[in-house]
Amino acid sequence: MGIIIAVISGKGGVGKTTATANLGLGIGMNNQKCVVVDFDIGQRNLDMILGLENRVVYDMVQVMEEEASLKQALIKSKVNENLFFLAASQSKDKSVLDSKKVEKLVLKLKEDFDFVILDSPAGIESGFEHTIEFADAAIVVVNPEVSSIRDADRAIGILDSKSNKVKNGEDVAKYLIINRIVANMVESGDMLKSEDILEILDIKLLGKVPEDRGVIEASNRGKPVILDKKSIAGQAYIRISARLCGQQVDMKDIEICDSGLFKKIVGMFT
Amino acid sequence: MKSNQYSVKVYETTIEDEEKFIEFFDMNYTLFKDHLIVIQGDLSKKIEEYLNAKSLTYLHNISLPKGRSRKSLEKEFQEERRQNAVSIQIAEAELKRLSSRLQNNLTVLDKMIRSGQEINIDGDLLLLNRVNSGATLNIKGNLIITKLVEGLIHCNGNFMMLTASLKANIIFHGVEVENGLLKNKLNRVELKNNEIIITPVLKKEISWA
Repeated sequence: MGIIIAVISGKGGVGKTTATANLGLGIGMNNQKCVVVDFDIGQRNLDMILGLENRVVYDMVQVMEEEASLKQALIKSKVNENLFFLAASQSKDKSVLDSKKVEKLVLKLKEDFDFVILDSPAGIESGFEHTIEFADAAIVVVNPEVSSIRDADRAIGILDSKSNKVKNGEDVAKYLIINRIVANMVESGDMLKSEDILEILDIKLLGKVPEDRGVIEASNRGKPVILDKKSIAGQAYIRISARLCGQQVDMKDIEICDSGLFKKIVGMFT
Repeated sequence: MKSNQYSVKVYETTIEDEEKFIEFFDMNYTLFKDHLIVIQGDLSKKIEEYLNAKSLTYLHNISLPKGRSRKSLEKEFQEERRQNAVSIQIAEAELKRLSSRLQNNLTVLDKMIRSGQEINIDGDLLLLNRVNSGATLNIKGNLIITKLVEGLIHCNGNFMMLTASLKANIIFHGVEVENGLLKNKLNRVELKNNEIIITPVLKKEISWA
């Protein structure tokens, strides 16, 4: 029995799909069985970022409508044998989703995998609500800017009122990934500091990912940035995946202002 | 250019009795090994050899930039603590006085009011958490909020006490209260003889217990 994690953000373009792809691979690298599901019906992207565009034959809507079996629709990653992918339908729209069918699908996946990661669509419409409905935990992805923070705040508010777990009186675990941090902008005060973001959103920090030009290039080539050992964003995703798999990994300070001023080192000439 | 800034502990001394000096250093070696030693006055070959043998970092006869001594730092810290205690007392007294005036249909909430959430309350409200940007509170009675407000507040009671950020929109009896007037850390806003009176309760930030 695994865990269902919804990746949400509220605002579009903050890096949900990129985070989903990288975390899926990262979890696979930690030898845990993982499936990533694209819930963005009608606008699927995850297949491209994972480099599995040409493998998609059946999609998740066809599985829900029982036109195809789950086994037929699950696509195995080319780079990691623990990672599987379930594509969204590109021709249909969100209205085809239905709570009962979504529940049946995700609970089946939960039985077979250690991690079921659902890539939520942007916004807070029905597609988003179906993604969070059966989630055990949520990963909230934000950029250090006010509009992203407010939209994430809204998404967390909906998660806290509409998810099934909350309706049953339990808590949905919520974790934060701050994506695209530019260290020198934080230092000069032009970008929100992570402490401020954490104070506004009041959820647990899972990790910080620095801005890295390699991410776009990696997405275009269909090779998630986590595979590039030299990339700083890739290293950040390696640390985050390890934390998700239960390892203790110290929070690395990627905001220069934190490390520069408060560095406490004694011995000036050593 | 690559540069680093460090805070270093310095131990400054003048050697009068070499035997005593060595004995003292032997005894406190674990403490001094992380210090920068500054010797003022004479420095004999013997002491030099001793310091080198112990691989202690030392400088001889230099004038140090004026730092703050431990005593003055402690004094500063104590003063800060004292002021903080006073602030908390003022705030608590104020809260006690005002909260005794919260009586009709009092609601006490300790949850963050997130963006998009709307809270409508007929009576009084004591809120022990933040009001985020994009959230709305409609309060018919009196209102006390102990943490930062960044959202929209409509209050029609006799008074409210809150801390507002520049993003907040505070409307008291249909009148928009200028954010600049609420820039203090805790403010009391009252309606007296058809006039809105804003009194700063605290000028600086305190952490509520």
